[in-house]
Amino acid sequence: MLLIIQNIGEQNSLFLAAILLYLIAAVASLSLMKHHKLCNIVSNVICMIAGSFGVVASVVKIFTGYTQTNIPMLQSSIPLITLDIKIDSLSAFFILCLSVLVVCVSLYSIGYNSHYYGKRNLGLFNFLYSTFILSMFFVMISGNAVFFYIAWEAMSLISYFLVIFESEHEENQRAGKLYLIMTHIGTAFLLIGFMIMFSYTKSFDIFGSSAAIPEVAKNFMFIFFFIGFGTKAGVVPLHIWLPYAHPAAPSNVSALMSGIMIKTAIYGMIRFMLCYLQIQQTWWGVVILCFGIVSAVLGVAYALMEHNIKKLLAFHSVENIGIILIGLGVSFIAFSQNNEFLGGLALIAALLHTFNHTLFKGGLFLGAGSIQYATHTKDIDKLGGLIKKMPITALMVLCFSLAISAIVPFNGFVSEWLTYQSLFLNIGYGGGALNILSILSIAALGLSGALAAACFIKLFGISFLGLPRSDHALNAKEVPVTMNIGMGILAGFCLAIGLFPAIFINIVDKVVFSLVGSSITGNFQGGFLNAFSPLVVSGNSISPVDILIVFVVVIFAALLIIRLIGGKYIERKYGTWDCGFESLNSRMQYTATGFSKPLRIVFSILYRPGRKVEIEEGVSSYFPTSIKYKVWTEPIFEKYFYNPVLNMIRKISLKIIGSVQTGSVHAYLIYIFIAVLALMLYNRLA
Amino acid sequence: MIEATYLIVQIIVIILLAPLVNGIIKKVKAFTQKRKGGSLFQMYFDLFKLFKKTAVVSDVSSWIFKVTPYIVFATAIAAALIVPVTTLIKPMWFPGDIIMLVYIFALGRFFMMLAALDTGSTFGGMGASREAMISSLIEPSILVSLITVGLIAKSTTVSVIMNFMQEVHNPLIHPVYIMAFCALFIIIIAETSRTPVDDPGTHLELTMVHEAMVLEYSGRSLALMELGAAIKQLVFITLLVNIFIPHDQMIHLTGFSAVAISLLVYLIKVILAAICIAIAEVSTVKLRLFSIPNLAALAFILSFIGFLQYFVFGG
Amino acid sequence: MSNYLDALSVLLLTSAFMLMGNKRIKSYIKTFRLQSILIALLTGIMGINSLYNDGNVDILVVCMVVIGIKVVYIPFLLNKTYENVEYKVEKDFFLNIPILIIGCCFIVVFTYFSLSTTTGINTGTINMQVVNSISLILIGLFFMISRKKAIGQIVGFLVIENGIFVTALFATQGMPFIVDIGILMDILVAVIIMGIMVFRIDEKFGSTDINKIKDLRG
Repeated sequence: MLLIIQNIGEQNSLFLAAILLYLIAAVASLSLMKHHKLCNIVSNVICMIAGSFGVVASVVKIFTGYTQTNIPMLQSSIPLITLDIKIDSLSAFFILCLSVLVVCVSLYSIGYNSHYYGKRNLGLFNFLYSTFILSMFFVMISGNAVFFYIAWEAMSLISYFLVIFESEHEENQRAGKLYLIMTHIGTAFLLIGFMIMFSYTKSFDIFGSSAAIPEVAKNFMFIFFFIGFGTKAGVVPLHIWLPYAHPAAPSNVSALMSGIMIKTAIYGMIRFMLCYLQIQQTWWGVVILCFGIVSAVLGVAYALMEHNIKKLLAFHSVENIGIILIGLGVSFIAFSQNNEFLGGLALIAALLHTFNHTLFKGGLFLGAGSIQYATHTKDIDKLGGLIKKMPITALMVLCFSLAISAIVPFNGFVSEWLTYQSLFLNIGYGGGALNILSILSIAALGLSGALAAACFIKLFGISFLGLPRSDHALNAKEVPVTMNIGMGILAGFCLAIGLFPAIFINIVDKVVFSLVGSSITGNFQGGFLNAFSPLVVSGNSISPVDILIVFVVVIFAALLIIRLIGGKYIERKYGTWDCGFESLNSRMQYTATGFSKPLRIVFSILYRPGRKVEIEEGVSSYFPTSIKYKVWTEPIFEKYFYNPVLNMIRKISLKIIGSVQTGSVHAYLIYIFIAVLALMLYNRLA
Repeated sequence: MIEATYLIVQIIVIILLAPLVNGIIKKVKAFTQKRKGGSLFQMYFDLFKLFKKTAVVSDVSSWIFKVTPYIVFATAIAAALIVPVTTLIKPMWFPGDIIMLVYIFALGRFFMMLAALDTGSTFGGMGASREAMISSLIEPSILVSLITVGLIAKSTTVSVIMNFMQEVHNPLIHPVYIMAFCALFIIIIAETSRTPVDDPGTHLELTMVHEAMVLEYSGRSLALMELGAAIKQLVFITLLVNIFIPHDQMIHLTGFSAVAISLLVYLIKVILAAICIAIAEVSTVKLRLFSIPNLAALAFILSFIGFLQYFVFGG
Repeated sequence: MSNYLDALSVLLLTSAFMLMGNKRIKSYIKTFRLQSILIALLTGIMGINSLYNDGNVDILVVCMVVIGIKVVYIPFLLNKTYENVEYKVEKDFFLNIPILIIGCCFIVVFTYFSLSTTTGINTGTINMQVVNSISLILIGLFFMISRKKAIGQIVGFLVIENGIFVTALFATQGMPFIVDIGILMDILVAVIIMGIMVFRIDEKFGSTDINKIKDLRG
């Protein structure tokens, strides 16, 4: 193969520098395999620097808005296998998400990986980590379907190795297997989509024109792309790998996977469906909206029932992908009806929620990692009282929980508000069915928001507050400083975007402008200096800063007035009210199972909970020595959707194997003979 | 920009009026039970008394427990600024709309539930888990019913909706508004923890939801929590009466006297609404906890039918 | 005037939902009575309007008859039957109440869709209030399907008749006078007969559960 690396223009030099730095980090970590501590620090620091280059480069790219022609990075003499890079505003935006998360997670990893010292191969881990980030980088900057596919495959494979990194646990291996199979099913659908693309336009160029593809083929391509990207994103019903894979991986990898790997699927959807295929039909948007609603509600419903922190967070990723898809669906519907303003607005909502989700979900997984680092357990029911032992971690996790529940004044609220506004503006356009769908999605968003808040109250309240429920929690200690700083940066971003939404929406708006040519900054008071101004969309405005100022003023005034009325604050410490029982212990608190029980009963049609009670009797049946209570929810998708399909495939395969694999050499020779004859015949006829 | 006059009038009226609503409701309930009941201004006296008392704080709890009463109070006031008591003070612009209103209350509720879990007592966990169930089932109904009204007014900002409704003749004859009104009434009962959703005077754990969450509080923290809950109740009542029974279009004066008359009429409307809530409270029993989803479904159905009627009758 | 009619039609629909969400037999009868009062109000308003415009007292007479029969007499008959049977609350359902209510929602949406493209629906005297009244008919039928005890079935049948009556009122501003009175008489006789039958069946077989009545075949 003939490799030519062409000169890349000045605007991209920072991107190239970032790519080089990731490569250096990968190589360095392999070479420093023997010195654990040095390897860890060096590779993570290099990743951090690379990440900051990425942040700067992407912000500059978005604001200067210069899109250049395809720059082939590697050319070879095999026809059509050229790896082109093209970076436009959309790619730059996703690289911004990636880089911000990488900076914080790498900083966190410096502290987190220290519990792997001497026990595992850190050099291998950091090599896989850097190349994983590099593969995601390539997915987002590829200009060519071939390059995209190669980078996508690389991303899936490397993440598989990262998921089974702790391979001595049986369930990690199973999780990795399920993940690999599911992601390859999705990739197969992507491949079919690309092949249809090639057969009509004779080129793999993503940025080319799709005018040559007929309507029917475009519809099929949409379906295939949606299934392919939906598998990676975790859309219900293709989400079953998420709750197994994310808990199995180490926490910093889970943060990356949930924070940015899922978003590459959203990038793919926007790039292929919106930019390449140019939305033709309204039903595309309707399909996406419906799946978004279902994912949002089902994701949070299943998250409520989980007591493994990481599994809970994985289900929440499904819910947030649902919310992003709701925004995307509305924008696609609007574009197909030539409503530029609404399309742009909904797209801004979806992209902003993508960025926000990267921040707070990454932060939450890092927090789960901190909890696991300190207490060596992932089960919420064994924690408790951690706020006194790990105060800074607790504060960070509280910030992230508030952000993900869309509470004022954090960033989740801003993106959900924009989604609500776009749904609100959608009612009135289009026919009756769309209106009812819009109002149902408003109701579904409200429901999922409230359920998410309940779920995170459970997570935070039962893990951090109250009395410790086990020795693990009793002996917890605060985690190393770098982990807290990493999380702190993310929390700071959450608060900043929440308080000053205008700046970040400016960034997203420029991206949308470059994509579809419509900007909604005309309705905002744009510009950096107007950071304090409220966010106005078609007359409705919010201003979280003002609300925060009101809070502060009111609290001070209240403190002052109460001091005047009531005198000095005297406080007496005493035990919690225990109805005179006098030996209140940690077993009397609510557990996570108990907390979610009312919702389990209300939604029992969905969960079909099963329960088992085992009583070991003591002296008499009224004084048992131990009672074991087990409750579980039925995994509907696996039982009713996947298992029948798998059983059918297994039966068919067994039958075919039985008949085709006869074991006789003559049969196999006849197969070869027939195959050659068929190919020659095809050559003649085609 | 935000106008100071509007803010000051709004805050003073709401803080002063909130405990009175509680007093009226208790007095009406007492009358129907052939008792004399406490004074109308009893809650004011109670609050003053509580401010002076010593607080007893559990040693299991953390800073969240101490911060929560202030957050609950602050969120209630912030929400109150979004819902004008009178539309005659112009300009009355404070950035915020219906969705922000719902999520500001969500902030208060979040911290209240965390504080309940913070004390490590069983009552707190129980109150928090029940409140989680009730609030998540009620929230879609609030959004659908308020957004339906917002659709007709083409905006989600409360002051714009109120101004729009003043142009509508007899809003309560129109089917869309009837449904939204009924849905909102049920939501008020659920959000302010009144019978049939929750008994506000009980201390039996069988029936507590809101009371369970404030069980550990004493002294000034308890006063702030109670005042916050009363302000939340008044904000919802203001939303109900000012949107569906607008009175400002009938006042043709200007200046200070107009505002005074408007506030007087608003006071009368709030008193009538409080009497209606009290009558609704005494005529039903507290529902079993798992019958509350039926009530929430009823509220949702009413708001959804209201939405459909908008398309049937064209708004 | 049409504002009041709109409001009353939506209140009728709400009363249908209230009916569906009930389990107690006494509440069925009370809700039916409420529905009949609303219909009486409806005919009253229309009657006064027509008296004012054309000088016709037809519709007012129909209103009186409705009050006499549906508001006063038929609930009285049903109450008498109710006192003589032994069950007061229905406990057994095929589908539980929230699902039934969601089904009623679907019925309303479906009626709206199937009628929204009818030509001339919004012009002249017919308008979309018909959507509410046709939903009432379908909800009445759904109610008959979902209830197992006999009094539930009778009330469902009465609600269907209510719905047909209201649809006729909205669509054509009243049917010919004789037809109206004739229908009302028929209903009265039907209810009397059904009431007697229910009482007899209960006396003879000890229960009026419809499922058990299936066993009487063959």
